[in-house]
Amino acid sequence: MAQFNRKSTLRNLTVNDAMRRQIIQLDQAKTIDLGINVLIKYKVNALLTVNSQGNPVGVVSKTDVMGAYYAGLPVESPLEYIMVSPPLFCRSGDSLETALEQMRTSGVYRLYVAGNESGDLVGALAYPDIVGMLYQYCHQCEYSHLKTTRQGNKDDSVGRFNVREVMTPSVKSIGTGETLNTVMEALSAFRFGAMLVTDENDQPRGVISKTDLALNYKHGVDPEVSASTVMNEPVSTCDADSLLEEAIKKMTMADIHRLFVYAGETSNIVGVLSLSDAARVRSGSCYACVSSRIKVDDHD
Amino acid sequence: MKTTAVDIMTTDFSTLLPQTPVIDAIRIFQESFNQQGRRLFGMIVSNEDQHLVGMLSMYDILLYLRPKHIHVWGSMEDLEIAGVIDAAGNRIKSILVGDIMTPDVVTVGPNANLMMVLDTMIKKHVRRLPVVEEQRIIGIVYISDLFRQLLEGISD
Repeated sequence: MAQFNRKSTLRNLTVNDAMRRQIIQLDQAKTIDLGINVLIKYKVNALLTVNSQGNPVGVVSKTDVMGAYYAGLPVESPLEYIMVSPPLFCRSGDSLETALEQMRTSGVYRLYVAGNESGDLVGALAYPDIVGMLYQYCHQCEYSHLKTTRQGNKDDSVGRFNVREVMTPSVKSIGTGETLNTVMEALSAFRFGAMLVTDENDQPRGVISKTDLALNYKHGVDPEVSASTVMNEPVSTCDADSLLEEAIKKMTMADIHRLFVYAGETSNIVGVLSLSDAARVRSGSCYACVSSRIKVDDHD
Repeated sequence: MKTTAVDIMTTDFSTLLPQTPVIDAIRIFQESFNQQGRRLFGMIVSNEDQHLVGMLSMYDILLYLRPKHIHVWGSMEDLEIAGVIDAAGNRIKSILVGDIMTPDVVTVGPNANLMMVLDTMIKKHVRRLPVVEEQRIIGIVYISDLFRQLLEGISD
């Protein structure tokens, strides 16, 4: 893990500083069922597929799994039916900026990392890891909200981001009576990672994420069942006026990628905040180091 | 002299089905803490035909409990453990054994020589090996039984 003891900016960091060394991979001949086990067990959004010689041949993401569910593909089908080829690579010595630019232009959220000299597969670089690193940096900063409050420093003069400034201020929702197939169509059309489920009075009732859909696919749930039968309750929320830092903490502790944001009444959902929204504003939690941040595009 | 896996394996073991909720598996682990005898660290997962499909260990459950990005808050002293457990407890409700079990399980045949059993345990870093005959599980060899058998008499 990178050391943040220098005054310099994150611009000087390389892929090697942010990547994960554990590479989640499976033979392309293994089943989608097994692939879902691996995605759930290791809490990753995608896995690398390899051929019988162990060479990387493709990537299977939760989006691809959802596509298979929607298409009615048997869950015992091999991963090679749904993988996207080829996997994209960057070098461990590339700057983070370069790798992020490559992700942006290729429209992917994950790159596999080849060693600078050997060219061997040495790691994986994914958006959540970069976001995590930004916040680690933020947490260790002398202006950290947690540090200043612990030291009893009431005069906290550093301007801090609140959730409202960073959230995506529009939320798409789906009715409790809609089918999982409809949920999947909406997730695909809006390129979202999860949908809010609301009842006939527009009250938020639950959430269905791509992870939930992958699980339902594995469990053999008919995609024509209604959203209300499989949604997660209650909806994880935060106040629009709360500090961004607190919201990030809530997400990392609960292992969730997004919070629905309310204003006033908890049922008055006015936006959604994802871990990558937080990075998109080029900041951790306060204005102090805005210019030092790298830019990460929104995704989920 | 006992020389093969079948000679020292235990035939009294509980199994889980892949479609069993993880919550039920957690309960079995918890109940085993209150019982005398061997501590339970992992359970075999088999289908209706008693074919081995995986293993669910305490480690698998703890892996799922751990927040993935916990390192972000690694230096926090006032980490609220109760909050983490509550969130994980809510998440785990819809998870089945088959979702988080380890599917690739190292096994041995009933006639495997005890030295080969020892070699396999060391190389694969495992402490228990299911004994499989014609795809069916007939027993488990535990490292403690292997230790007892191989080192019997050595300290006399």
